[in-house]
Amino acid sequence: MSMEDYDFLFKIVLIGNAGVGKTCLVRRFTQGLFPPGQGATIGVDFMIKTVDINGEKVKLQIWDTAGQERFRSITQSYYRSANALILTYDITCEESFRCLPEWLREIEQYASNKVITVLVGNKIDLAEKREVSQQRAEEFSEAQNMYYLETSAKESDNVEKLFLDLACRLISEARQNTLVNNVASPLPGEGKSISYLTCCNLN
Amino acid sequence: MAVAGSGLRGPPGGEGGGGSSLTMERIRSLTDLPELEAAYSRLCGEEKVVQEELEALLEQQNTIESKMVTLHRLGPNLQLIEGDARQLAGMITFTCNLAENVSSKVRQLDLAKNRLYQAIQRADDILDLKFCMDGVQTALKKEDYEQAAAHIHRYLSLDKSVIELSRQGKEGSIIDANLKLLQEAEQRLKTIVTEKFNAATKEGDLPQVERFFKIFPLLGLHEEGLSKFSEYLCKQVANKAEENLLLVMETDMSDRRAAVIFADTLTLLFEGIARIVETHQPIVETYYGPGKLYTLIKHLQVECDQQVEKVVDKFIQQRDYHRQFQHVQNSMVRSSAADKIEPRELDPILTEVTLMNARSELYLRFIKRRIISDFEVGDSMASEEIKQAHRKSLDKLLNNCLLSRTMQELIGYYITMEEYFMWETVNKAVAMDTCEKGQLISSMVDDVFYIVKKCIGRALSSSSIDCLCAMINHSTTLLESDFREVLCTKLKLGFPATTFQDIQRGVTSAVNIMHSSLQQGKLDTKGIESTDEAKQSFLVTLNNVEVCSENIMTLKKTLENDCAKLLSQGFGGEQAEAKIESCLADMAAVSNKFRDLLQEGLSELNSTAVKPQVKPWINLFLSVSHNIEEEEFNDYEANDPWVQQFIVNLEQQMAEFKAGLSPVIYDSLSSLLTSLIAIELEKVVLKSTFSRLGGLQFDKELRSLIAYLTTVTTWTIRDKFARLSQMATILNLERVTEILDYWGPNSGPLTWRLTPAEARQVLALRIDFRSEDIKRLRL
Repeated sequence: MSMEDYDFLFKIVLIGNAGVGKTCLVRRFTQGLFPPGQGATIGVDFMIKTVDINGEKVKLQIWDTAGQERFRSITQSYYRSANALILTYDITCEESFRCLPEWLREIEQYASNKVITVLVGNKIDLAEKREVSQQRAEEFSEAQNMYYLETSAKESDNVEKLFLDLACRLISEARQNTLVNNVASPLPGEGKSISYLTCCNLN
Repeated sequence: MAVAGSGLRGPPGGEGGGGSSLTMERIRSLTDLPELEAAYSRLCGEEKVVQEELEALLEQQNTIESKMVTLHRLGPNLQLIEGDARQLAGMITFTCNLAENVSSKVRQLDLAKNRLYQAIQRADDILDLKFCMDGVQTALKKEDYEQAAAHIHRYLSLDKSVIELSRQGKEGSIIDANLKLLQEAEQRLKTIVTEKFNAATKEGDLPQVERFFKIFPLLGLHEEGLSKFSEYLCKQVANKAEENLLLVMETDMSDRRAAVIFADTLTLLFEGIARIVETHQPIVETYYGPGKLYTLIKHLQVECDQQVEKVVDKFIQQRDYHRQFQHVQNSMVRSSAADKIEPRELDPILTEVTLMNARSELYLRFIKRRIISDFEVGDSMASEEIKQAHRKSLDKLLNNCLLSRTMQELIGYYITMEEYFMWETVNKAVAMDTCEKGQLISSMVDDVFYIVKKCIGRALSSSSIDCLCAMINHSTTLLESDFREVLCTKLKLGFPATTFQDIQRGVTSAVNIMHSSLQQGKLDTKGIESTDEAKQSFLVTLNNVEVCSENIMTLKKTLENDCAKLLSQGFGGEQAEAKIESCLADMAAVSNKFRDLLQEGLSELNSTAVKPQVKPWINLFLSVSHNIEEEEFNDYEANDPWVQQFIVNLEQQMAEFKAGLSPVIYDSLSSLLTSLIAIELEKVVLKSTFSRLGGLQFDKELRSLIAYLTTVTTWTIRDKFARLSQMATILNLERVTEILDYWGPNSGPLTWRLTPAEARQVLALRIDFRSEDIKRLRL
């Protein structure tokens, strides 16, 4: 059992092109802020927020990565231990959408095969400048078997939902894993040691 | 009497609280004798009470009278005091009025004085103005620019209203003319100073440069002065840097510092700039005021960036950095050894890059500290917004300067190359794995951890927290998946058993080998050459796994200490500590994975090697009759039928493991073994039958066994054998009912591990106990 005061611990890594609003999403969620004129992230930033999901204390460790190419080898090293990836693009920037397949290749190459990936189209407050239609993004995410959500870090639209839904899915995934693991011995390359034991009884 | 008594009480009725409870009307209305008597006796009682009260009051009369006398005596004194007080009040009022009068005069005086001062100030200002007009001209003629600038400075700092006021005076037209002259002089002086400054710059005449640099702020040209001065300083930086770069090109490859020559060149550049900042900061602070260092450094940083670019370009070109990176990337995809870049070749360049980055971080930290403390002095009275803005512009300068970006790029490539270096070198260590005879672990464990430590250590030496974390992550991945997989595969080969299990084992091993070969995609050429070697290999791997688990924890602790040192020097942002902690926690979790693997390996060893051998030895117990009489018992005494041989066998088997396993693992294995023996022995005992002496025999045998096992394990085994000991106790009873001396309320300190049903079952093993007696027992 963990000594710390939480039932679950998950690592979430945000990835995507530079300037799509990853840092703003994280800031909005963890601090309730929207800092205008946010500078480019250097390397990776690290935030923690503990949320309550149906009475369970869930500690979310959020790694906000730099989108710029020169930090790629740093950010890639975080993929493997991630329980979830939030792949972000900017709905007002066609280029950031067109880069998604490249990001998916990175995920394929570096992340664990059990990772949950969410596609996020950010900046819906700039609707008049939209370049990527919701339908297109939905079709794409469906083809890639990803959960899709459109957000606005500025207006705080869907930001809370994004992280809380993700936490819920991570919990149910973790419980399933425990059920499997209880039968067989622990699999190699398994994520963090989390105290699942208390949780199985509830399901 | 009653009537008189009540009459004395004054007017009747509910008025006074002291009145009788009986009113006159009520008394008059009484007609009945008993009622009258009752009223009379009540009134008598009341009279008595009143009498007592009166007496008490009369007693107090004396004291009250003496008090009254004292009060009368106080009277005259009080009058005296009243008179004094009145007098005092009058005096205070008088004094107050007087003070009021005086102070109003003082206030008027003060006002007058202030106005006078202001008038003098104005007069002074006007005089100054005139003085400046004259002074500037003479100073300019004398080429005393400091003096001239001081006059201009005085003029510029004069209140503009003063100038307006003096123009309104009688001499308005003269002053107007003079003002014009003054303005002209100001312009002239500005041009002259700029020209002179430029000339001095060109000649590299530092005293002259500094002389005019000090004049600029007097003329209100702070920004211009700083930018011109920076220009001069930049030129110096550029010249020096160019010289240094030329020296690099001429450096002999055999030079002691040749391998880190570019890092050295950067160091020289940074040290040069730092020296300039150190030397000139006092002048800037004195003549330009605090808070201006940022502007100076901003200009210098532009030059620094240009010079860094040149050095790094040369570095990339000379060291073939990009091509090396490409080569590494290709090598990572391709698996054929021929095309792969030799990791050892990368070693020097990786060291140099980390050194370059470390120097840059050191320089940036220096600049940051200087600017922050300069801003702190300058912003001591400033608003929070201004402070915030300054902090933001500083962050922007540091994060967006070309130096930072260039280094981030170099480190980006570095991480990929370092990762490749680590994987390849680890692969080599695994391929070259050997185990010396008598060694518990094989060479690769120490080698792998040496490599991992070296790579993380190198990343740490770059002073970049993100770079360090990335390498910790990569190491975690390597240890957790690949290296653990190597050990896992070796364990999957299994521990071959000897003698009669050989055939059976051979089949499973073959299947195992095929299985793992398929998984790996290639055939393990080493395979099992001989049973002995395979055994050795399995045990060594178990030890390896345990040492890995420990090494990871040691590595984590070492890194924690090293990182604490780095952080205490002020490197890394506010989240640096949390980031490192999280990455190291992931690494520590891998240690547990190795522990799990060890447990898996041990239970595999126990179930495939130990159990198949121990079980038949225990089963031999069945072939030794425990339904014996005196004669056989004595015979057993002389020629032990089972337990001694069993112990000898166990000893032989465990000796093999004791020699080949680390003490900790051996201990775990012994523990597994004792549990196994306890369980299996229980099974065979329940299949046997016993006479009274047979029970005694079993007791003896069990005691010998426990005594032996206690010597081979470090922890107590009594608990594991509790059930068997209790069975021996039951088998040793004289009669069935004797168990009641030990059972239930008579059990004393003994805790029965056998259920009543089990106790009956054991009793039934005694052929001389009648089943009716056993059934009749109340347990």
